[in-house]
Amino acid sequence: MEILKRFSLPVFIVLMAILPHLLNDRWQAVAITFLVFTVVALSQDIILGKSGMFHMGQALFFGMGAYATAILNNQFGWPILATIPVAILVPALFGILLAGPIVHLRGDYLLVVTIGFNIVFVQVLQNNLGGVTGGPNGIFGIDSLSFFGTELMSQIAVYYFAFIVLLITFWVMHNLEGSKAGRALHYLREDPLAAESIGINTRVYKIFAFSLGAGLAGLAGTVFATQYAAVSPEAFDFIQSVLFFSIVIVGGSSIPGILLGVFVMFVLPEIFREFATWRYFIFGFAMILAMILRPRGIVPATFGKIPKFLIKGGSHGA
Amino acid sequence: MDIFLQQLANGLTIGSMFALVALGYTMVYGVMKLINFAHGDMVAASAFVGLTIYTHVMGQATSLFAVIAIFLLSAASMACVGIILERVAYRPLRTAPRLSAVVSALGASMIIQNGIMLIWGPRMRIFPELVPQVYWDFGGVVISLIQVIILILSLVLMVALYLFVEKTRMGAAIRASSIDQDAARLMGINVNNVIALIFIIGSSLGAVGGLFIGLYYRGITFNMGWQYGLYAFIAAIMGGIGNIPGAMLGGMLLGLFNAFISGYVSSTWADAFTFILLIVILIVRPTGILGERVAEKV
Repeated sequence: MEILKRFSLPVFIVLMAILPHLLNDRWQAVAITFLVFTVVALSQDIILGKSGMFHMGQALFFGMGAYATAILNNQFGWPILATIPVAILVPALFGILLAGPIVHLRGDYLLVVTIGFNIVFVQVLQNNLGGVTGGPNGIFGIDSLSFFGTELMSQIAVYYFAFIVLLITFWVMHNLEGSKAGRALHYLREDPLAAESIGINTRVYKIFAFSLGAGLAGLAGTVFATQYAAVSPEAFDFIQSVLFFSIVIVGGSSIPGILLGVFVMFVLPEIFREFATWRYFIFGFAMILAMILRPRGIVPATFGKIPKFLIKGGSHGA
Repeated sequence: MDIFLQQLANGLTIGSMFALVALGYTMVYGVMKLINFAHGDMVAASAFVGLTIYTHVMGQATSLFAVIAIFLLSAASMACVGIILERVAYRPLRTAPRLSAVVSALGASMIIQNGIMLIWGPRMRIFPELVPQVYWDFGGVVISLIQVIILILSLVLMVALYLFVEKTRMGAAIRASSIDQDAARLMGINVNNVIALIFIIGSSLGAVGGLFIGLYYRGITFNMGWQYGLYAFIAAIMGGIGNIPGAMLGGMLLGLFNAFISGYVSSTWADAFTFILLIVILIVRPTGILGERVAEKV
């Protein structure tokens, strides 16, 4: 079991690295979607799972990154890679601005307010505020990747772009867990009051988690915009946020759980296309069943390297 | 002035529908501390059930008896759905982490919403004209019979609920359970029965709200539940969640706010303004208009 745990992530990374060469065009596209949505789900996990804030608007930050790339590329002619810093910083800044006044709200209120942010965002996009978002149709015609003047037209290039973004996300999550900020977040998730009383500035760390998660989702948005060469408001509808939210909780806020969740939500429907209309109907049952059988998620997360016998049962989780 | 009076009338109509739906949210939240995401979809389901009863059971009759039967049958079927929902999706998770119950509620919402889509199809359906199209013109302000019926019936239901909750023993049990479930249980209140009862009442009121939505807007779609459900939940928060008169007040205020935004600004921005209002209220008065400030227990 220990060996399995230790090697499963490297094996997964190696497999994903060679995967696109084994797939045809259609399945390459599905694989890219898998990578992009995994990054978004992991970024959602930073806010929801790792910090325990009831956040149901992650599609907002994902969309903000995608739209930042689309607008800068389509209307100002920036190359895709040059838009990345903006696609990270804009959602991260909005994460700080939006989270600032609301992070102290109690769970369910935060949930509704973040849903609200998502809905307002989609409405802003549809009403074409400032004349740059393209209204309900979105923006078409985004360039393909180019690297120092060399055009990388193929889908495999997009795949590796997405893959690198996923590796960056893994790296960020890994560093977060071992860092002071990660420990602070874990503590305030377990018991915000105790964290506050021991001198952790919970407000700052909560806002930090929001902006970090938002920035990563924005980066995923760049990949998404590149893959489809288009963005439109309905891709960032709040039903997407609901899915990311569910993936993190059902998965148990751990990397294997989230990978499984993204696979079930976004890859399985591609395999069973004839059941497309039954998709959410079946997911609904699966979500209830998963929560009843495993209330802490399919693969519950563990924190740090604390030996099992030191952890008091039942204290883990929100 | 005409616009003002017209939007006042429209706002009261929309507000009473929000209030009816908000009552279901606030009662469930009060006792279980859970956002029942499926409630909005039950509201939508009620409109579709009403449509089917009208075409297949009542043979498209619009007599007073038929209309009353449609309301009662829809409310009864939603009460059943509510009880099943509570038994299957919420009761097993009462002691589980909060977020697990939220995901279960989302799952239930998806099942009902997509169940409607699988049964009645993804396209918009037209709700039958159960009430004759009668309009009164008061010097430029047009009020329809439907609006009057919606307003009066909602007020009657709300007053009845208020009296029930404030004046009867069962109502006292509901209030006690929403203040402290464990203490209520120690006082000999069967909390399971209370929860079943609030699901029956909440779902029936939501069902009436759903039929009103069908009567008033005519077009019903399988995914409309999210929209109305979210608005109703905002109304519940605005009034002070868990507070029954608060939900009525919040619903009315939100309806008026919406109508005036649509009348004076633009209906395409109504959602955005509603959520800005919600955020302002939560920042200024996090407990809602009628909510009491309760010290956080440590």
